[in-house]
Amino acid sequence: MTSISTSTTPRLSGLSLRYLVLLGLIVIASVGFGLANENFYSLTNFGILLRSIAVLFLVSMGMTFVMLTGGIDLSVGSNVAFSGGVGVITLTTTGSAPLGFAAAVLAGMAIGAINGVFIGRLRLSAFMVSLATYALARGLALVIYDANSINVSNAAFLWLGGVSWGSMPVVIPFVVVVFVGLSVLLYNTPFGRNVYAAGANFNTSFVLGRRPERTLVWIYVLSGALAGLSAIVTVGRVSSGQPWSGLYLEFDAITAVILGGTSLFGGRGRLLGTILGVLLYGIIINGLVLTGTNPYLQSLIKGMILLGVVLLDTWTQRGKTS
Amino acid sequence: MQNIARTLQERNIVVVTLLCCIVFYVLSPRFLSVDNMSAISRQIVPIGLIMLGQFFVIVSGNIDLSLGMASVLFAVVLGVFFGLTGGVGIGLLAVIVASLAMGFVNGALVAKLRLPAFIVTLSTLFVAQGLSGLIISRGQQIFLMGGFFQWAGSEKLLGIYLSVWFLIALGGLAYVVYNHTRIGAAIIAIGNSEDNAKLAGINVDRVKIGVFMFSGLCSGFAGIMLSTRMGFVQPGLDGNGLLLDAIAAIIIGGTLIQGGRGTIGGALWGVAFIGIINNALNLLNVEDVWHQVFKGLVILAALGVNWLLWQSRQSEAH
Repeated sequence: MTSISTSTTPRLSGLSLRYLVLLGLIVIASVGFGLANENFYSLTNFGILLRSIAVLFLVSMGMTFVMLTGGIDLSVGSNVAFSGGVGVITLTTTGSAPLGFAAAVLAGMAIGAINGVFIGRLRLSAFMVSLATYALARGLALVIYDANSINVSNAAFLWLGGVSWGSMPVVIPFVVVVFVGLSVLLYNTPFGRNVYAAGANFNTSFVLGRRPERTLVWIYVLSGALAGLSAIVTVGRVSSGQPWSGLYLEFDAITAVILGGTSLFGGRGRLLGTILGVLLYGIIINGLVLTGTNPYLQSLIKGMILLGVVLLDTWTQRGKTS
Repeated sequence: MQNIARTLQERNIVVVTLLCCIVFYVLSPRFLSVDNMSAISRQIVPIGLIMLGQFFVIVSGNIDLSLGMASVLFAVVLGVFFGLTGGVGIGLLAVIVASLAMGFVNGALVAKLRLPAFIVTLSTLFVAQGLSGLIISRGQQIFLMGGFFQWAGSEKLLGIYLSVWFLIALGGLAYVVYNHTRIGAAIIAIGNSEDNAKLAGINVDRVKIGVFMFSGLCSGFAGIMLSTRMGFVQPGLDGNGLLLDAIAAIIIGGTLIQGGRGTIGGALWGVAFIGIINNALNLLNVEDVWHQVFKGLVILAALGVNWLLWQSRQSEAH
């Protein structure tokens, strides 16, 4: 135990430096887009911004757990569409919002469980397995919706994603609650320590009896559950369930998590970094949309951001070790 | 368990494919008609080309997620050059140079900077998607008529489309390189253990970059074949669908996704299998929405079989 705590001390200072840089970039990005678009600074737009990236917050927190174990979950975007479909169908058939919520989260967890068993128990590569569930979940979503969107009018079901208290969308306190809950899980429980251990060294963790294979299964189930929650928020935001919702969300989440300082190789990173990463990335994406940027240029910029961040990380880390 | 694994060895994809053919024939006699068979053969060419590139990447222990979207980009590149100059030769040259360059960038980032391949190629996937829509104005289509496109798209030799002959030729070349040259042996060695390959004196970085350049080139070829088959290009084609089909074919063909083992023949049969399934789902009027579910399940099942193969290899090793 002592060896772990001593080794994290210098890393933490590196991370806090990164958080300061991220904060600075967030300020610069908001000033930049504020100059480019006069509506950027209004309280209403800030509410809209936070609501539009609420889903990215939720999914990215799940992705942080996954990437701390050295894995990846390419299925979350499709899973948002699939679990949303299950939730909406359950709602329309039973008329009960709580049942709809439960069904969405359970559906998300089911896809997560497939990932978890194949990745954790069978030890197959995470991107390969989650690429299969990426296709499967999107396909199931298309089947459930029969490729059409379904309008939802149940006020209780739409509350989480659609209602605002003044300029503050209800979903923001919800994201904060989830953040606090997941922070306790990650930093104050044996499970959280197992997550870091599995990511730092799977085999050592196995020999120490930490059961990393079991931890991995639960990590992907958690990521699926957060996709289910995101689905509820997504449906609430647009008052309808859509088979193509969450498209490329996994890419945004991966970029935000890496931006927030979580290592691609597992074992290093914190949830706070992910929050800052999502804020910065969300402001940039939101700004690109507000300024009417060509969607293909947006793709190009997104690709360059991910590549740039990964290159910068490698460069600074090589600098430190040599 | 190991017996199951052995009976599911890569060669048996042939049996499974032929069984599927019989079942589909019974369900819809039109399935085995010459017209339908030749339609399938033409459909699978882009998948097959991407598969050949991806095959070497996977055997060397990596993955290239950018190949599908890259082939869409290169189809658009060809169309834009054709639209601007009216010449085909310069367009083909541009595609070949650009695809090799893209493969080089992927390979150099993976080999020299030791970045995980899936992150590098995920970002180049988005770069390719963005570029495909930027070099052509939005919603625009370029029609590719006449001369070369007519010839490459619909001409037949001995009753088989020229594009299919191209796939067979490149597949044959890949087979020889993979099985009978030191390059092939080096790729397998790297997939098994990079450290051992290095100790054996293999220039790991150079081989890896070469593998990614070849896969880039294959996506360029796939883009060319895509454009000649359709007769027009536009951004927003389903490149990721091609990528999924190619990866599914490779896994179904018995290639170990952990790297180090696989056969070109098995992977080519995997491509035929995917083509037959895609075609049969259409012939049997299965609704479009089910296609992707089916594909996801096929990949998951193949991954399960792959795991059994891997387990049996692990126990052979001990």
